[in-house]
Amino acid sequence: MPLVTSGRVLDGIGTLARLGLAAVWLVSGLLKAVDPAQTYVAVRAYDVLPRSLLSVVAGVLPWFELALGLLLLVGIGTRAVAVLSAALLLVFIAGVTQAWVRGLSIDCGCFGGGGAVAPGQTQYVQEILRDVGFLALAVWLIVRPRTLFAAERRLVTASTGSGMEGN
Amino acid sequence: MGGADRSERRRKQEAAQARLKAAGITPKRSGPSGNTLVLGIVAVVVIAAIVVGVVITLNNRSSEAAGVAPNYPVARTGAVITAGQAAAPVTVDIYEDYLCPYCERLETAYKDQITTALNAGQIKVNYHAISILDRASTPAGYSTRAANAAICAADAGIFPAYHAQLYADQPSEGSAGFSVQELTDKGTALGAGGGFGQCVAAQANSGLIETATNTAAANPALQTNGNFGTPTVAVGGRKVDVNDSNWLQKAIAG
Repeated sequence: MPLVTSGRVLDGIGTLARLGLAAVWLVSGLLKAVDPAQTYVAVRAYDVLPRSLLSVVAGVLPWFELALGLLLLVGIGTRAVAVLSAALLLVFIAGVTQAWVRGLSIDCGCFGGGGAVAPGQTQYVQEILRDVGFLALAVWLIVRPRTLFAAERRLVTASTGSGMEGN
Repeated sequence: MGGADRSERRRKQEAAQARLKAAGITPKRSGPSGNTLVLGIVAVVVIAAIVVGVVITLNNRSSEAAGVAPNYPVARTGAVITAGQAAAPVTVDIYEDYLCPYCERLETAYKDQITTALNAGQIKVNYHAISILDRASTPAGYSTRAANAAICAADAGIFPAYHAQLYADQPSEGSAGFSVQELTDKGTALGAGGGFGQCVAAQANSGLIETATNTAAANPALQTNGNFGTPTVAVGGRKVDVNDSNWLQKAIAG
Protein backbone atom coordinates (compact mmCIF):
# COMPACT_ATOMS: atom_id res chain seq x y z
CA MET A 1 0.00 0.00 0.00
CA PRO A 2 1.38 3.43 -0.84
CA LEU A 3 2.53 5.47 2.15
CA VAL A 4 0.02 8.29 1.54
CA THR A 5 -2.96 5.97 1.44
CA SER A 6 -1.92 4.15 4.60
CA GLY A 7 -1.51 7.52 6.34
CA ARG A 8 -5.02 8.50 5.38
CA VAL A 9 -6.39 5.19 6.64
CA LEU A 10 -4.61 5.69 9.95
CA ASP A 11 -5.95 9.25 10.15
CA GLY A 12 -9.43 7.85 9.59
CA ILE A 13 -9.04 5.22 12.32
CA GLY A 14 -7.71 7.92 14.67
CA THR A 15 -10.70 10.12 13.87
CA LEU A 16 -13.09 7.30 14.74
CA ALA A 17 -11.18 6.70 17.98
CA ARG A 18 -11.34 10.40 18.86
CA LEU A 19 -15.04 10.77 18.12
CA GLY A 20 -15.83 7.45 19.79
CA LEU A 21 -14.04 8.44 22.98
CA ALA A 22 -15.70 11.85 22.81
CA ALA A 23 -19.11 10.16 22.66
CA VAL A 24 -18.22 7.96 25.65
CA TRP A 25 -17.32 10.97 27.81
CA LEU A 26 -20.20 13.16 26.67
CA VAL A 27 -22.81 10.47 27.29
CA SER A 28 -21.39 9.27 30.61
CA GLY A 29 -20.79 12.83 31.82
CA LEU A 30 -24.28 13.95 30.88
CA LEU A 31 -25.98 10.98 32.54
CA LYS A 32 -23.99 11.68 35.71
CA ALA A 33 -24.55 15.44 35.63
CA VAL A 34 -28.34 15.21 35.39
CA ASP A 35 -28.63 12.98 38.47
CA PRO A 36 -26.22 14.22 41.17
CA ALA A 37 -27.81 12.10 43.90
CA GLN A 38 -27.34 8.95 41.85
CA THR A 39 -23.75 9.91 41.06
CA TYR A 40 -23.03 10.48 44.75
CA VAL A 41 -24.44 7.06 45.64
CA ALA A 42 -22.48 5.45 42.79
CA VAL A 43 -19.18 6.98 43.95
CA ARG A 44 -19.91 6.10 47.56
CA ALA A 45 -20.62 2.47 46.69
CA TYR A 46 -16.95 1.92 45.75
CA ASP A 47 -16.22 2.44 49.44
CA VAL A 48 -12.83 4.03 48.74
CA LEU A 49 -13.14 7.75 49.45
CA PRO A 50 -13.70 9.29 52.88
CA ARG A 51 -17.22 10.65 53.35
CA SER A 52 -15.93 14.23 53.35
CA LEU A 53 -14.58 13.94 49.79
CA LEU A 54 -17.58 12.15 48.25
CA SER A 55 -19.65 15.25 47.49
CA VAL A 56 -16.83 17.07 45.75
CA VAL A 57 -15.63 14.09 43.72
CA ALA A 58 -19.19 13.17 42.70
CA GLY A 59 -19.84 16.82 41.86
CA VAL A 60 -16.72 17.33 39.76
CA LEU A 61 -16.55 14.00 37.92
CA PRO A 62 -19.45 14.60 35.47
CA TRP A 63 -18.10 18.00 34.43
CA PHE A 64 -14.57 16.66 34.05
CA GLU A 65 -15.90 13.92 31.76
CA LEU A 66 -17.90 16.46 29.77
CA ALA A 67 -14.81 18.64 29.37
CA LEU A 68 -12.79 15.70 28.02
CA GLY A 69 -15.64 14.82 25.66
CA LEU A 70 -15.97 18.36 24.38
CA LEU A 71 -12.22 18.75 23.74
CA LEU A 72 -12.11 15.43 21.89
CA LEU A 73 -15.18 16.27 19.85
CA VAL A 74 -13.69 19.55 18.71
CA GLY A 75 -10.22 18.07 18.45
CA ILE A 76 -8.14 20.32 20.66
CA GLY A 77 -5.14 18.89 22.46
CA THR A 78 -6.10 15.39 21.39
CA ARG A 79 -2.94 13.82 22.74
CA ALA A 80 -3.08 15.57 26.13
CA VAL A 81 -6.80 14.84 26.48
CA ALA A 82 -6.15 11.21 25.54
CA VAL A 83 -3.57 11.05 28.35
CA LEU A 84 -6.13 12.44 30.83
CA SER A 85 -8.74 10.01 29.48
CA ALA A 86 -6.42 7.05 29.90
CA ALA A 87 -5.59 8.13 33.45
CA LEU A 88 -9.27 8.44 34.37
CA LEU A 89 -10.08 5.07 32.78
CA LEU A 90 -7.26 3.45 34.76
CA VAL A 91 -8.78 4.92 37.93
CA PHE A 92 -12.18 3.48 36.96
CA ILE A 93 -10.70 0.08 36.19
CA ALA A 94 -8.86 0.12 39.52
CA GLY A 95 -12.10 1.08 41.29
CA VAL A 96 -14.12 -1.73 39.74
CA THR A 97 -11.31 -4.22 40.32
CA GLN A 98 -10.99 -3.36 44.03
CA ALA A 99 -14.78 -3.68 44.42
CA TRP A 100 -14.64 -7.09 42.79
CA VAL A 101 -11.65 -8.26 44.83
CA ARG A 102 -13.21 -7.07 48.09
CA GLY A 103 -16.44 -8.86 47.32
CA LEU A 104 -18.61 -5.74 47.17
CA SER A 105 -21.83 -6.01 45.17
CA ILE A 106 -22.08 -2.79 43.20
CA ASP A 107 -22.94 -1.47 39.79
CA CYS A 108 -20.06 0.57 38.35
CA GLY A 109 -22.33 3.53 37.61
CA CYS A 110 -20.24 4.10 34.51
CA PHE A 111 -23.15 5.45 32.48
CA GLY A 112 -25.49 6.65 35.20
CA GLY A 113 -26.94 4.15 37.65
CA GLY A 114 -24.60 2.77 40.25
CA GLY A 115 -24.80 1.84 43.89
CA ALA A 116 -25.33 -1.47 45.60
CA VAL A 117 -26.84 -4.39 43.71
CA ALA A 118 -27.82 -7.85 44.88
CA PRO A 119 -24.98 -10.37 45.04
CA GLY A 120 -24.99 -12.24 41.73
CA GLN A 121 -26.15 -9.13 39.88
CA THR A 122 -22.63 -7.73 39.47
CA GLN A 123 -21.07 -7.40 36.01
CA TYR A 124 -17.46 -6.71 36.84
CA VAL A 125 -15.97 -8.59 33.88
CA GLN A 126 -18.12 -6.75 31.33
CA GLU A 127 -17.47 -3.40 33.03
CA ILE A 128 -13.70 -3.89 33.06
CA LEU A 129 -13.59 -5.15 29.46
CA ARG A 130 -15.64 -2.16 28.34
CA ASP A 131 -13.25 0.23 30.09
CA VAL A 132 -10.27 -1.58 28.56
CA GLY A 133 -11.86 -1.03 25.16
CA PHE A 134 -12.17 2.68 25.84
CA LEU A 135 -8.58 2.66 27.10
CA ALA A 136 -7.48 1.22 23.75
CA LEU A 137 -9.05 4.23 21.98
CA ALA A 138 -7.16 6.58 24.30
CA VAL A 139 -3.88 4.72 23.77
CA TRP A 140 -4.28 4.93 20.00
CA LEU A 141 -4.68 8.70 20.28
CA ILE A 142 -1.66 9.01 22.58
CA VAL A 143 0.52 7.06 20.12
CA ARG A 144 -0.94 8.69 17.01
CA PRO A 145 -2.97 11.81 17.83
CA ARG A 146 -3.30 12.93 14.21
CA THR A 147 -6.95 12.89 13.15
CA LEU A 148 -9.18 14.50 10.54
CA PHE A 149 -11.38 17.53 11.24
CA ALA A 150 -9.40 18.48 14.36
CA ALA A 151 -9.53 22.15 15.35
CA GLU A 152 -6.01 22.01 16.76
CA ARG A 153 -4.49 21.67 13.28
CA ARG A 154 -5.97 25.00 12.32
CA LEU A 155 -4.81 26.60 15.55
CA VAL A 156 -1.26 25.33 15.12
CA THR A 157 -1.24 26.35 11.47
CA ALA A 158 -2.58 29.81 12.22
CA SER A 159 -0.10 30.55 14.99
CA THR A 160 2.98 29.34 13.10
CA GLY A 161 1.90 30.95 9.85
CA SER A 162 2.45 27.73 7.93
CA GLY A 163 1.24 24.21 7.79
CA MET A 164 4.81 22.96 7.65
CA GLU A 165 6.90 22.66 10.76
CA GLY A 166 9.99 24.45 9.56
CA ASN A 167 13.36 23.97 11.20
CA MET B 1 33.73 7.66 5.89
CA GLY B 2 32.78 10.13 8.65
CA GLY B 3 30.73 12.07 6.12
CA ALA B 4 28.79 8.97 5.11
CA ASP B 5 27.98 8.28 8.80
CA ARG B 6 26.76 11.82 9.31
CA SER B 7 24.47 11.83 6.32
CA GLU B 8 23.14 8.41 7.34
CA ARG B 9 22.36 9.76 10.83
CA ARG B 10 20.71 12.83 9.40
CA ARG B 11 18.59 10.75 7.07
CA LYS B 12 17.44 8.62 10.03
CA GLN B 13 16.63 11.72 12.07
CA GLU B 14 14.62 13.17 9.24
CA ALA B 15 12.76 9.91 8.76
CA ALA B 16 11.95 9.84 12.50
CA GLN B 17 10.72 13.43 12.35
CA ALA B 18 8.55 12.58 9.37
CA ARG B 19 7.04 9.61 11.20
CA LEU B 20 6.23 11.78 14.25
CA LYS B 21 4.71 14.43 12.02
CA ALA B 22 2.63 11.87 10.18
CA ALA B 23 1.33 10.73 13.57
CA GLY B 24 0.35 14.29 14.39
CA ILE B 25 3.02 14.78 17.05
CA THR B 26 4.73 18.14 16.64
CA PRO B 27 8.41 18.10 17.51
CA LYS B 28 9.34 20.41 20.39
CA ARG B 29 10.49 23.85 19.39
CA SER B 30 11.60 26.76 21.50
CA GLY B 31 9.31 29.72 22.19
CA PRO B 32 5.52 29.90 22.30
CA SER B 33 3.88 27.89 19.57
CA GLY B 34 0.55 26.51 18.49
CA ASN B 35 1.18 23.65 20.91
CA THR B 36 1.31 26.02 23.85
CA LEU B 37 -1.95 27.58 22.71
CA VAL B 38 -3.60 24.18 22.36
CA LEU B 39 -2.43 22.98 25.77
CA GLY B 40 -3.55 26.31 27.25
CA ILE B 41 -7.04 25.78 25.88
CA VAL B 42 -7.10 22.24 27.27
CA ALA B 43 -6.04 23.51 30.70
CA VAL B 44 -8.64 26.29 30.70
CA VAL B 45 -11.50 23.98 29.70
CA VAL B 46 -10.55 21.29 32.22
CA ILE B 47 -10.10 23.76 35.06
CA ALA B 48 -13.38 25.49 34.18
CA ALA B 49 -15.15 22.12 34.37
CA ILE B 50 -13.65 21.41 37.79
CA VAL B 51 -14.68 24.84 39.07
CA VAL B 52 -18.24 24.31 37.80
CA GLY B 53 -18.42 20.98 39.61
CA VAL B 54 -17.09 22.40 42.87
CA VAL B 55 -19.40 25.43 42.78
CA ILE B 56 -22.48 23.29 42.10
CA THR B 57 -21.49 20.94 44.90
CA LEU B 58 -21.05 23.76 47.40
CA ASN B 59 -24.34 25.37 46.33
CA ASN B 60 -26.18 22.09 46.74
CA ARG B 61 -24.65 21.33 50.05
CA SER B 62 -25.85 24.36 51.94
CA SER B 63 -25.88 28.09 51.88
CA GLU B 64 -25.39 28.14 55.66
CA ALA B 65 -22.18 27.86 57.56
CA ALA B 66 -21.40 24.20 58.17
CA GLY B 67 -22.25 22.69 61.51
CA VAL B 68 -25.32 24.61 62.70
CA ALA B 69 -26.19 23.48 66.24
CA PRO B 70 -29.74 22.13 66.60
CA ASN B 71 -31.85 24.21 68.97
CA TYR B 72 -35.45 23.05 68.61
CA PRO B 73 -37.91 20.85 70.50
CA VAL B 74 -38.51 17.22 69.55
CA ALA B 75 -41.73 15.32 70.18
CA ARG B 76 -42.82 11.79 69.34
CA THR B 77 -46.16 10.38 68.28
CA GLY B 78 -45.95 6.64 67.76
CA ALA B 79 -43.22 6.03 65.18
CA VAL B 80 -43.26 9.63 63.97
CA ILE B 81 -40.67 11.99 65.43
CA THR B 82 -41.52 15.67 65.07
CA ALA B 83 -38.71 18.20 65.15
CA GLY B 84 -39.37 21.91 65.56
CA GLN B 85 -42.05 24.06 67.10
CA ALA B 86 -45.62 22.79 66.81
CA ALA B 87 -46.76 26.23 65.63
CA ALA B 88 -44.31 26.38 62.71
CA PRO B 89 -46.17 27.44 59.53
CA VAL B 90 -44.73 24.84 57.16
CA THR B 91 -44.85 21.09 57.72
CA VAL B 92 -42.21 18.93 56.05
CA ASP B 93 -42.51 15.14 56.13
CA ILE B 94 -39.31 13.17 55.56
CA TYR B 95 -39.64 9.45 54.89
CA GLU B 96 -36.26 7.86 55.30
CA ASP B 97 -34.52 4.57 55.82
CA TYR B 98 -31.36 4.55 57.92
CA LEU B 99 -29.67 2.17 55.45
CA CYS B 100 -30.62 4.13 52.33
CA PRO B 101 -27.61 5.87 50.72
CA TYR B 102 -29.83 8.47 49.03
CA CYS B 103 -31.16 9.35 52.48
CA GLU B 104 -27.58 9.83 53.64
CA ARG B 105 -27.01 12.16 50.71
CA LEU B 106 -30.18 14.09 51.56
CA GLU B 107 -28.94 14.45 55.13
CA THR B 108 -25.44 15.45 54.01
CA ALA B 109 -26.70 17.97 51.48
CA TYR B 110 -29.51 19.62 53.45
CA LYS B 111 -28.84 19.01 57.14
CA ASP B 112 -27.61 22.52 57.87
CA GLN B 113 -30.38 24.22 55.91
CA ILE B 114 -33.02 22.12 57.68
CA THR B 115 -31.49 22.75 61.10
CA THR B 116 -31.39 26.50 60.46
CA ALA B 117 -35.05 26.55 59.41
CA LEU B 118 -36.04 24.43 62.41
CA ASN B 119 -34.11 26.69 64.79
CA ALA B 120 -35.85 29.73 63.31
CA GLY B 121 -39.29 28.17 63.70
CA GLN B 122 -39.92 28.39 59.93
CA ILE B 123 -40.68 24.69 59.55
CA LYS B 124 -41.40 21.59 61.54
CA VAL B 125 -40.24 18.22 60.26
CA ASN B 126 -41.97 14.90 60.80
CA TYR B 127 -39.35 12.16 60.53
CA HIS B 128 -40.90 8.88 59.43
CA ALA B 129 -38.43 6.03 59.80
CA ILE B 130 -39.17 3.53 57.04
CA SER B 131 -37.92 -0.05 56.93
CA ILE B 132 -38.12 -0.93 53.25
CA LEU B 133 -34.41 -1.79 53.16
CA ASP B 134 -34.52 -4.38 55.94
CA ARG B 135 -33.65 -7.07 53.40
CA ALA B 136 -30.63 -5.06 52.15
CA SER B 137 -28.54 -5.73 55.25
CA THR B 138 -26.92 -9.08 55.95
CA PRO B 139 -28.53 -10.39 58.07
CA ALA B 140 -31.75 -8.55 57.29
CA GLY B 141 -33.26 -6.09 59.72
CA TYR B 142 -30.89 -3.14 60.18
CA SER B 143 -33.43 -0.55 59.01
CA THR B 144 -35.94 -1.57 61.69
CA ARG B 145 -33.22 -1.86 64.36
CA ALA B 146 -31.91 1.63 63.63
CA ALA B 147 -35.45 3.08 63.46
CA ASN B 148 -36.19 1.62 66.89
CA ALA B 149 -32.97 3.12 68.24
CA ALA B 150 -33.88 6.53 66.80
CA ILE B 151 -37.22 6.41 68.61
CA CYS B 152 -35.32 5.62 71.83
CA ALA B 153 -33.04 8.57 71.08
CA ALA B 154 -36.07 10.87 70.77
CA ASP B 155 -37.31 9.65 74.16
CA ALA B 156 -33.81 10.15 75.58
CA GLY B 157 -33.66 13.73 74.32
CA ILE B 158 -30.79 13.25 71.86
CA PHE B 159 -32.65 12.76 68.58
CA PRO B 160 -31.05 15.52 66.44
CA ALA B 161 -27.51 14.46 67.26
CA TYR B 162 -28.32 10.74 67.06
CA HIS B 163 -30.06 11.09 63.72
CA ALA B 164 -27.04 12.95 62.33
CA GLN B 165 -24.69 10.32 63.78
CA LEU B 166 -26.52 7.38 62.19
CA TYR B 167 -26.06 9.01 58.80
CA ALA B 168 -22.50 10.18 59.37
CA ASP B 169 -21.57 6.57 60.17
CA GLN B 170 -24.09 4.93 57.84
CA PRO B 171 -23.15 1.33 57.05
CA SER B 172 -23.15 0.15 53.41
CA GLU B 173 -25.99 -1.82 51.91
CA GLY B 174 -25.15 -5.50 52.12
CA SER B 175 -23.26 -5.12 55.39
CA ALA B 176 -24.58 -6.21 58.79
CA GLY B 177 -25.29 -2.69 59.97
CA PHE B 178 -24.81 -1.70 63.61
CA SER B 179 -25.67 -4.14 66.36
CA VAL B 180 -27.86 -3.29 69.35
CA GLN B 181 -24.66 -2.75 71.32
CA GLU B 182 -23.17 -0.40 68.72
CA LEU B 183 -26.42 1.53 68.44
CA THR B 184 -26.45 1.84 72.23
CA ASP B 185 -22.84 3.00 72.39
CA LYS B 186 -23.51 5.75 69.86
CA GLY B 187 -26.36 7.07 71.99
CA THR B 188 -24.40 6.83 75.21
CA ALA B 189 -21.57 8.79 73.61
CA LEU B 190 -24.09 11.53 72.81
CA GLY B 191 -25.28 11.70 76.41
CA ALA B 192 -28.21 9.26 76.57
CA GLY B 193 -29.00 7.95 80.05
CA GLY B 194 -29.04 4.42 81.40
CA GLY B 195 -32.49 3.54 80.06
CA PHE B 196 -31.38 4.05 76.45
CA GLY B 197 -29.60 0.71 76.14
CA GLN B 198 -32.62 -1.18 77.49
CA CYS B 199 -34.89 0.67 75.08
CA VAL B 200 -32.66 -0.15 72.08
CA ALA B 201 -32.39 -3.77 73.16
CA ALA B 202 -36.17 -4.08 73.59
CA GLN B 203 -36.89 -3.08 69.95
CA ALA B 204 -40.41 -2.43 71.19
CA ASN B 205 -41.58 -0.28 68.28
CA SER B 206 -40.96 -2.66 65.38
CA GLY B 207 -44.68 -3.12 64.86
CA LEU B 208 -45.30 0.63 64.71
CA ILE B 209 -42.44 1.04 62.22
CA GLU B 210 -43.79 -1.71 60.00
CA THR B 211 -47.26 -0.18 60.03
CA ALA B 212 -45.85 3.28 59.24
CA THR B 213 -43.85 1.79 56.36
CA ASN B 214 -46.89 0.07 54.85
CA THR B 215 -49.06 3.15 55.28
CA ALA B 216 -46.51 5.42 53.62
CA ALA B 217 -45.89 3.00 50.75
CA ALA B 218 -49.64 2.80 50.05
CA ASN B 219 -50.14 6.59 50.02
CA PRO B 220 -50.51 7.74 46.38
CA ALA B 221 -49.44 11.29 47.32
CA LEU B 222 -45.99 9.92 48.21
CA GLN B 223 -45.50 7.88 45.06
CA THR B 224 -43.79 8.61 41.78
CA ASN B 225 -45.12 6.49 38.89
CA GLY B 226 -46.84 4.26 41.41
CA ASN B 227 -43.66 3.57 43.38
CA PHE B 228 -42.71 4.60 46.87
CA GLY B 229 -39.06 4.90 47.79
CA THR B 230 -36.77 6.59 50.26
CA PRO B 231 -36.03 9.37 50.71
CA THR B 232 -39.42 10.90 50.06
CA VAL B 233 -39.97 14.48 51.18
CA ALA B 234 -43.41 16.04 51.30
CA VAL B 235 -44.33 19.64 52.01
CA GLY B 236 -47.87 20.08 53.25
CA GLY B 237 -48.51 16.45 52.34
CA ARG B 238 -47.34 16.82 48.73
CA LYS B 239 -44.17 15.14 47.46
CA VAL B 240 -41.41 17.53 46.38
CA ASP B 241 -38.34 16.97 44.20
CA VAL B 242 -35.26 17.10 46.40
CA ASN B 243 -32.99 17.13 43.34
CA ASP B 244 -34.11 20.74 43.13
CA SER B 245 -31.58 22.26 45.52
CA ASN B 246 -34.04 25.07 46.35
CA TRP B 247 -36.85 22.80 47.53
CA LEU B 248 -36.59 23.98 51.13
CA GLN B 249 -36.49 27.69 50.25
CA LYS B 250 -39.55 27.18 48.07
CA ALA B 251 -41.33 25.33 50.89
CA ILE B 252 -40.61 28.15 53.34
CA ALA B 253 -41.68 30.79 50.81
CA GLY B 254 -44.93 28.87 50.34
